[in-house]
Amino acid sequence: MRMRTLFASFGLGLLVAIAAPGVAGAGESGGEEPTEEPDIDHASEECIHLLEDGGEIDDCQEAPSPILPEANEIIWGGIAFLILLGILWKYALPGVQNMMKQREDRIRGDLERAEQAKTEGEGVLAEYQRQLADARNEAGRIIEEARQSADQLKRDLTARAEAEAAQIRERASQDVQLATERATTDLQSRMAELSIELAEKVVERSLDRDTQLALIESYISDLGNGRRG
Amino acid sequence: MTAPLGLEFPPISHLIRWPDLLFEDTPYAINKTTIIYFLAVLITLTFFFVAGRRAQLVPRGVQNMAESSVEFVREGIIMQTIGPDGLRYLPFLLTMFFFIFFINIFEIIPLFQFPGNARMAVPFILAILVWFIYNIVGIAKQGPLGYLKSSTIPPGVPKPMLPLIALIEFVSTFLVRPFSLAVRLFANMLAGHLILVTFAVLSAALWGKNISLVILPFPFLLLIALTGFELLVAFLQAFIFTILTAVYIGLSMHPEH
Repeated sequence: MRMRTLFASFGLGLLVAIAAPGVAGAGESGGEEPTEEPDIDHASEECIHLLEDGGEIDDCQEAPSPILPEANEIIWGGIAFLILLGILWKYALPGVQNMMKQREDRIRGDLERAEQAKTEGEGVLAEYQRQLADARNEAGRIIEEARQSADQLKRDLTARAEAEAAQIRERASQDVQLATERATTDLQSRMAELSIELAEKVVERSLDRDTQLALIESYISDLGNGRRG
Repeated sequence: MTAPLGLEFPPISHLIRWPDLLFEDTPYAINKTTIIYFLAVLITLTFFFVAGRRAQLVPRGVQNMAESSVEFVREGIIMQTIGPDGLRYLPFLLTMFFFIFFINIFEIIPLFQFPGNARMAVPFILAILVWFIYNIVGIAKQGPLGYLKSSTIPPGVPKPMLPLIALIEFVSTFLVRPFSLAVRLFANMLAGHLILVTFAVLSAALWGKNISLVILPFPFLLLIALTGFELLVAFLQAFIFTILTAVYIGLSMHPEH
């Protein structure tokens, strides 16, 4: 990783700076030494030191430029930054990022699952609705069928009943006819017998005309009165 | 220093240069500024380790803040300026943001009350680092000549103007950028610090002096308001430094933009 190399070389450079005291010797301190005389303040004390070292009075007014960085602060600042960068990069950040990633994954997973469940639910609902509609259609069809078959049955039954009735009527009329015919036949044979009987009687008696007439009349009246037994 | 108005304003060097506490007069000297650097490291690490230690799927408290800040750097800075391929710079930009922010915020933390970035050291090294990174990225992505061309010759410049524009662009990209980056942070923090010191000194001088006590509330209330303002500045400068870094890296990666 190029970044790592860069930071490593930066650290190395810092190390060189530390190792070379000549480079970093400028660390002028505002060292506060314990003063014997309490009424001399810090600024005056520094001025006294400057004058003792052979400086001019103007030097007292001159402060080191505040914009020039001090070696010790550069060194410690650089070290501090690199340590922070190293530990944060290597140890602290991965934990935090892992947790964020986990949560992200979790939320995404949850959302996907929810979406999936929703889709599934909708599918199931549609399926149920379809089944329900099918069932309704089926029921309608069955009812219709039942109605049709009932109608059919009714028609069949009626037809059959009518046919049977007709048959019965037919048979009855045949029976009646038969009975009539038989009765007629009976009557005819009976009349024949009676005629024969009558003829026998007529012959038996050989009666005169008046008697014969009376006989016939009495016979006919007998007939008229009903069967002679 | 004489005090004609009963007001004694310390020389600027006394407001921002701190005596060595350890290893005096060596390049490893430790003073208040360096302690602030260490504390910024410690606070950031504690923040993230506490957030990571009790990490739960449903974030709360510190974890929420840490994740929001990662989210902020990722979505608010990287995705806006570089794009998805800039996500590998997330650790660097996040570190940079928190380092600067926590060093800045000591401006308003009682007992410290000094923004470490009112010293040039950290702005300086970070700007140098950024300079190296965006140049290396540019050379790696576009080749040395392509990078030089894309960073010095803007499209659509008339021929006669080209040498002048190219010179200006060259100076702007390779010299002014790191300088302005560092000075912007440093000067903002220094100025904020001086303003707070001014009003603090003023308030202190007005305290207990007969009639002047009447006007004490004005500088004091302003001091409070400015302290709140410095909180905003601390955040804003950290944000600006980080997003400009991302912009520079983005320009090196995608010169067409």
